[in-house]
Amino acid sequence: MGRPARHSPPGTPPPRHQLSLIPDTSPLPAPEPSRPPPPDATGHDHWMAVELPHLALEQLARSEPTPARGTPLLIVESGPRQRVHAASRAARRAGARPGIALADALAVLDTPHLVDYDPAALHAQVERLAGVLLQFSDHVHPEPAAQRIMLEVGRSRRLFGGLEALREQTRQTLAALGFHARIGLARSPAAARLLAGLRHPEIPETAEALRRTLGPIPLQALPLSAATCEALQATGLRRLEDLLRLSREALAQRHGAELIRLLDQLLGRQPETLPRFSPAAELDLPLRLEHEIHATTALAFPLKRLLRQAEAQLRGIGRSLQGMALELQHRETRTRLELALGEPDIRATQWLELWQTRLERVTLKAPVIGLRLHADRLLDPPTTSAALLTTAPGDHATATLPTAPARIRARLGNAAVCGLENRRTPLPEAAQRPCPQPEALHHTDTLPAAQGVCGNAFWVQEPVSIAPPVAPQPLGRLEDGWWDHGHDQRRDYALARDPHGRRLWLFRCLRSGRWFHQGYWG
Amino acid sequence: MAALDALLEHPALWRGRSTVPPAGTPVWPSGHPPLDHALGGGWPRGQLVELLGAPFGCGETRLLAPMLAACGQAGYRIALIAPPATPWLPGWQALGIPAERVLLIRADADRDRLWASEQCLRDPAFGALLAWLQGPVEIALLRRLRLAAAESRACAILYRPPQAAQQPSPAHQRLQWQPAGNGLRLHSLKGRGGWTRSGQPLHIPDPQPLPGT
Repeated sequence: MGRPARHSPPGTPPPRHQLSLIPDTSPLPAPEPSRPPPPDATGHDHWMAVELPHLALEQLARSEPTPARGTPLLIVESGPRQRVHAASRAARRAGARPGIALADALAVLDTPHLVDYDPAALHAQVERLAGVLLQFSDHVHPEPAAQRIMLEVGRSRRLFGGLEALREQTRQTLAALGFHARIGLARSPAAARLLAGLRHPEIPETAEALRRTLGPIPLQALPLSAATCEALQATGLRRLEDLLRLSREALAQRHGAELIRLLDQLLGRQPETLPRFSPAAELDLPLRLEHEIHATTALAFPLKRLLRQAEAQLRGIGRSLQGMALELQHRETRTRLELALGEPDIRATQWLELWQTRLERVTLKAPVIGLRLHADRLLDPPTTSAALLTTAPGDHATATLPTAPARIRARLGNAAVCGLENRRTPLPEAAQRPCPQPEALHHTDTLPAAQGVCGNAFWVQEPVSIAPPVAPQPLGRLEDGWWDHGHDQRRDYALARDPHGRRLWLFRCLRSGRWFHQGYWG
Repeated sequence: MAALDALLEHPALWRGRSTVPPAGTPVWPSGHPPLDHALGGGWPRGQLVELLGAPFGCGETRLLAPMLAACGQAGYRIALIAPPATPWLPGWQALGIPAERVLLIRADADRDRLWASEQCLRDPAFGALLAWLQGPVEIALLRRLRLAAAESRACAILYRPPQAAQQPSPAHQRLQWQPAGNGLRLHSLKGRGGWTRSGQPLHIPDPQPLPGT
């Protein structure tokens, strides 16, 4: 059930951002005679703007839950003049601010940890989080340049118990992944963005409430050009309500169409079309580490975060997976590890346990500087929840696929668990072959008759020549057939007890008359 | 008085001198009526059983064939942990043990074998577990396994060398076996019921081999 209907088909017309009501040329047309706002139906659009102000810092993973005290961290923009893009709390306390030159920051900080600013990584991170937020709405629009994600939540508000509950749930989902969000909710995307940026707690649901909420907002907060802003200040306007009191024509004449368009967008009088986001078809989660990691045990914490993000993202796009690869990135090389489960599962706790046992076996060649989780085969989630099956009590557990093999493989290696598949060859030493996925083996049919003539011994080995036994008990004769590849393989099987009390499974080769030890009777 | 009787019948109550495990303890049939009687119905599920003896191949695994058949046919998996030889599953299948239910787990160190055993016991899909140990093992590891067995519904069998009899063990039941004539002689070193106290060995004759067709 991949949800094709959720994402915009490729043929969707491009977004109509510029639906200006007022042409930029004068003379101005008559103002739209009191365009009635759309009726307040419950299906009315509501927009949620999710801003991620500390994304650059939060994207880096720590190896422990509490950051090392006192080590300031700076994200540095490269270029002719190196600038601080973001500064950790410790760095800010010492006086480093985003935007200042790196040289200035170094003057006040004691050996800060420096990380390069990587806009492409931030961009990708915003898109990944947009995938996570798909669980709250089918219409998600990432705005990576502003480190912001827009969600249309008018239709999902009832499902999540109201806008306030929805906001809280969104906040918690992101917090669980290690991201702090500022969220604004309003009837229009522009107003939602504005409220998010101001950390405004109000959720104006009606047009009237929106006007009331926006009224006291100072004009500096609006995304306007500096010139327009200054011109407005010069005329003595301070707040948004001052602007709304003026007539459109006067405003348009004095400050241009940009301002009118913004006001219309804020109040939802002019629709703003945002294209829908369609998530990538595979899972690819890189994670840079704040510090190098030298021991596999220290990988658990960043890995947990990665797996949680994977779970959230898969939940968002409604997919599941059965196997994933983990790449440990070193300075020069990388180590690739793979894990597979008996059945699809997205739970981070489940995967973390497996990875931990898997990592116990790994000795690090070099310190780890980053992690990358990758899965290219995403599956439809199982129709029955995994939890339902595994908690089935008592004897009803028989339908369950075993989970222990995955754990054992993770610790002892993939070859540690196997089943034996019948190759239907009568020669006992060639009759079976290891099957790496015994969980998936299906019921075997009846035995080939030729396999029965050798008797039902328990243990087999390659034939070993031995001295003729005392008082062998005959079992049966294995005749010639297609399996002997031209060699005379006729054998008389027998059973005998050796001086130690072992019950040997033997055969006498009819061609040579010699005796061979084939295994143990049991 | 009736209340007292009811209390005494309670399966969780251990009474030192009771001869037979409380009714209702789930078992897998052993296929040998005298052994069933001595074990209190069959191979106990949810218990750790040690089978001590040497050498490998005297019939000590065939002894369990009826139990494995019952377990496999009930839909449970059977784990073989580090057996000293490769099982010939066509032979098992002829005895009614579904071959696709048998899982082979390889591990070199006794520690890993015990760890893998515990994982299997914690998985409700497994109904029987046969593990082979080589040397002396830490009591603490065996205690973990006993706990895992007690919480499971599987019968956990540990094959250990005869020298292990000198070492105390937290297993629920300890049986020592020896090849004797045309069968196996079983001594109970530890366990509930009258068998251990009587000190009498039990002789299990070898089942007659099926003649070839």
